[in-house]
Amino acid sequence: MSLVAALAVCLALAGYSSAQAESTRTVTVYAASSLTQAYTALGDKFMAAHPGVSIKFSFGSSTTLASQIDAGAPADIFASADTSSMTLASSVFPDAQNYVQNQVVLAIPKGSTITKLSDLNGKVTWLQCGHTVPCGIAADSALKSEGVVSTNPVSLEATASAATAKLLSGAVDAAILFKTDVVANSGKLNYIPFSNPSAALSQYQIGISHSKATTKNVWAKTFYAYLSGHSAKKFLASAGFIVTSI
Amino acid sequence: MMRRRSNPLVLLATALASLIVILPLFALLVKVPYAHFFSSLGADHALVAIRLTILTSIAAIVISAVLGLPLAWWLSHSPARISHWLRTILLAPIALPPTVAGLALLGLMSRGGLLGKYIYSATGWQMPFTTWAVIFAGVFVAMPFLVLITESTFSQLPRDVEEAALIDRASDGQLFWWIGIPQARSGIVTGFALAWARVLGEFGATMMFAGSLSGTTQTWTLQIYQELDINPDTAYSLSLLMLIIAMAIVIALRKPLREAFAR
Repeated sequence: MSLVAALAVCLALAGYSSAQAESTRTVTVYAASSLTQAYTALGDKFMAAHPGVSIKFSFGSSTTLASQIDAGAPADIFASADTSSMTLASSVFPDAQNYVQNQVVLAIPKGSTITKLSDLNGKVTWLQCGHTVPCGIAADSALKSEGVVSTNPVSLEATASAATAKLLSGAVDAAILFKTDVVANSGKLNYIPFSNPSAALSQYQIGISHSKATTKNVWAKTFYAYLSGHSAKKFLASAGFIVTSI
Repeated sequence: MMRRRSNPLVLLATALASLIVILPLFALLVKVPYAHFFSSLGADHALVAIRLTILTSIAAIVISAVLGLPLAWWLSHSPARISHWLRTILLAPIALPPTVAGLALLGLMSRGGLLGKYIYSATGWQMPFTTWAVIFAGVFVAMPFLVLITESTFSQLPRDVEEAALIDRASDGQLFWWIGIPQARSGIVTGFALAWARVLGEFGATMMFAGSLSGTTQTWTLQIYQELDINPDTAYSLSLLMLIIAMAIVIALRKPLREAFAR
């Protein structure tokens, strides 16, 4: 009996996965965690305008996503929060292009007593992203350029969204976050900018896969054009991203 | 009957130990957004992850049973010096950190992996980042639980029935089907439930080996992890459902669990 059940489950799963493979109405998007809210909204808008098309997202640190893509993960579109992650995925995304920009800021809860960067040297706890992911690389560069903070972060978070969640939950007094994550939570958070914005900048890139499956997928191309297009960039600008060319 | 007086230090330890377990569970219950519980579940395709988890966990348990029960039977009936070493290795995943398990699976099945490179060059297909990877990871971490518990049940069975059947020239397969399985029923059920709980809770190995793609590899626990960053309400609602399942397993298995571990 258990053999019959095993067979039934395997058949059901085979049908489940082949149904997914056959449909070219599915687009798989790997995107930096700082794009989570904006891309989820853009994906919903696109699916509403094109019934039957399914946009699937995998959000995470750009570095992790890039190594997954390099190891064969099935991404049609990849949006990274920096250029080096995209380079890591260049075997599949050889002609990615510059996309929007973001900048890290010192984020604090509304009503915080912290008013300037040097306040981090007082009796406060703060965190940032890890040294290998885009929001952490930008934080390191901004802090170095500023040169006034002598304390260490209490945690190095794996993704921008994890760092944001920790600050929102009240686990720390401050965090170095992407400005877009502060804008998305403007009811709860304020921010203090770094005095040298260019050191705090992160250049996003976007690309479409050169894999066979993607080149045959019309909807992947359509959604890619949508993400790179005028209305999506306008939406990203309203979410706090720096858009250089609309 | 004389009442034994409890030592105050023992009482204090008992109270503290209970609180350490009860308080976090209580906090979880308090944080669940009951007012919009169902809408928070409906948000962000939460049900997609639950459906995927149920499907893949059942598949993993069925595979674990089909392969693991005969293995447990064999271990319980083999000379100690052979089975001892094999058992030690086969049960290692129970103690292995899940991230190490994920790394091991990648090392084997990725397209540059030990076995994966041959599969990839022959078929162009690779297991990581597919639904099959979720199932494989589930079997890898759960089958040892099933084997551990059913083997101990098989070894405790009275041997006289088996010996009588052997005199009547029953084959080993017949012994397994008609005597081993029916007699070890309660141990098998316990093994199933604990293995299933282990698959449901699987996180690290799945994240490393299968990734976290909604609808394909993002399981329940991976979604809870992601929702905590985006929408904590959904994370707490999903966690409540997990807690209910966990309690149901423990309550349903009160008796067999005590028996399985009291031996």
